[in-house]
Amino acid sequence: MAGSTTEGSAPPTAAPRSALAQRLLDIEPSGRSSWLDPAACQAVIARGLPDTRGEPWKYTNVNRWYDVAFTRQEPAALDIDAPDDILVVDFDDPRTRPLAAAHGGKAFDLAKQPLAAVNGLLLGGGVAIVVPGDWRGEAPIRIADGGPSYQHILLIVESGASITLIEEASGFTHRIVETVVETGGRLRHLRRQRPAPTRECSLVAVHLDQDARYELAQSCRGAELRRNDVVVTLAGTGARVTVNGAWRLVGREHLDNQVAINHVAPQGFSRQTFRGVVADRARAVLNGRIHIAAGAKATDAALNTKNLLATDNAEVYAKPELEIFESDVQCSHGATVGTLDEEAVFFLRTRGLSDEAARALLVRGFLREAVADDEGAARLELVA
Amino acid sequence: MSLLEVRDLRVNVDDKPILKGLDLTVEAGEVHAVMGPNGSGKSTLANVLAGRPGYDIDAGSITLDDEDLTAATPDERAHRGLFLAFQYPIEIPGVSNMEFLKAAVDAHAAHTGASEPSAVDFIKRARAAAEQLHLSADFLKRGVNEGFSGGEKKRNEILQMLLLEPRLAVLDETDSGLDIDALQVVAEGINAFRAEDNAIVLVTHYQRLLNYVVPDHVHVLIDGRIARSGDHTLAHTLEDEGYGWLDD
Repeated sequence: MAGSTTEGSAPPTAAPRSALAQRLLDIEPSGRSSWLDPAACQAVIARGLPDTRGEPWKYTNVNRWYDVAFTRQEPAALDIDAPDDILVVDFDDPRTRPLAAAHGGKAFDLAKQPLAAVNGLLLGGGVAIVVPGDWRGEAPIRIADGGPSYQHILLIVESGASITLIEEASGFTHRIVETVVETGGRLRHLRRQRPAPTRECSLVAVHLDQDARYELAQSCRGAELRRNDVVVTLAGTGARVTVNGAWRLVGREHLDNQVAINHVAPQGFSRQTFRGVVADRARAVLNGRIHIAAGAKATDAALNTKNLLATDNAEVYAKPELEIFESDVQCSHGATVGTLDEEAVFFLRTRGLSDEAARALLVRGFLREAVADDEGAARLELVA
Repeated sequence: MSLLEVRDLRVNVDDKPILKGLDLTVEAGEVHAVMGPNGSGKSTLANVLAGRPGYDIDAGSITLDDEDLTAATPDERAHRGLFLAFQYPIEIPGVSNMEFLKAAVDAHAAHTGASEPSAVDFIKRARAAAEQLHLSADFLKRGVNEGFSGGEKKRNEILQMLLLEPRLAVLDETDSGLDIDALQVVAEGINAFRAEDNAIVLVTHYQRLLNYVVPDHVHVLIDGRIARSGDHTLAHTLEDEGYGWLDD
């Protein structure tokens, strides 16, 4: 499908990227303690920031994000609600240091996430959350919309603990949700993105130890520019991950989901299911990578994405990417782009539904396929 | 006033004439069977009555209860009391049968100004109708026609008819693909629906459904026109002698 790169106004960032990096490095540090090493962040930025010439940003004009990104951040509190037994501490608190020492660098490689390095330098608020071992409470952790422009949440789910994280993920410039799920732990992550006239990026990075489970269900509406990077590493034997995503875009909204599942250890299991509906002149991007390292024997990985184009001018770029370096694996993928079934619209209309109601019901059903259980679908507002 | 009046209906599909001046009058309380060989226009008639897009009405009119529906949308026809049971029922993954049925019943209630049935009352009604058609309770929770057998799909069409209580039900080859047990269940459903204040048009290729649902009138459609009409014995004649003798 032909893609247009003429999005909105011409950015003032047509200068070489080294100048961009210099502009950023000239900004006075925020004074907030980041748990990312500032020198490491600076080094990543100095090597160059991404532009649309590279594959990872081919369909999202990152210059439009830079336009809003380079402002100095004042500290602000993150709005987080957690059950009493769960430790929530600010990055300024010395108790985060041993956590950083124990878990730093596990969930993502800073060199591959230059926007996270920008976050590290401009951080406006960061907290560490620790769910203690074998914790089994029903109450979820909640992270609200908004807060400081640059934010970083570090979540440790200790061995055997099980918890749900409900995240409202909009209203920032960049948010990192960095998670380690220890042996036998389980994290259910419900992530909702409201429609917003903003340009925002986020990174969800997850490290799974042996037999750990991570279930992400993400419902996205569009923004002026919205980019979500999700990186999950199955580092321990028998780890399991499901990533379910649904999106619905209208107008000139833009959504770019980049999901990478890294199977490093044997007997890993991953399932990615995406359903998207794109209307008007909106653009949706899904890049789903499955990387299976040598030695990750008996891995079972699958990705399935289906997209509906509601108008001729809507754009969808859906690409599964498989990198397999181990022979003893099962791996499948499927990607489709289509339109609503007019036969089904007619069927519903013969049952008395208006054209509009028929299409809305079909869209709802289509999106709901991405979120298997009703509770998750209800929380993500995929059920009316 | 007749319940349904079809006058001189001429319909083209892709510029090819399919119905070439069809007349049909159906009174309240009647069951009409429309039979005919393949390609005679039976399914076209069923679909045109329901307002399917893609059929070009060249001339003629369709009137239901004295209201001209010739140019009405499919949902307007449904609100007036017209129902089409599909020859090939549609699968809708992600939408449960119960949600779909409630949406349909609510859409009718909204049109008539009646209050929507409460969720509890609706579930009771839906379960009773499902039981009548020998469908298990979990059938209502499954995605619409998703993974249903051929027989289940056809019974689901009849279930919708029972819940929507149309004025005129047009059943397009509802008997095709049914084994004898399913055929009897479907026939029982149709007979339970049959009443003095409604009417049924059965479009069928075979006579066997008519052993269980005895029609008041049988019409034979040949090359886009009704070539012969009679009582239920006409169906037996067709079964014995085929359609060839009508060509003369």
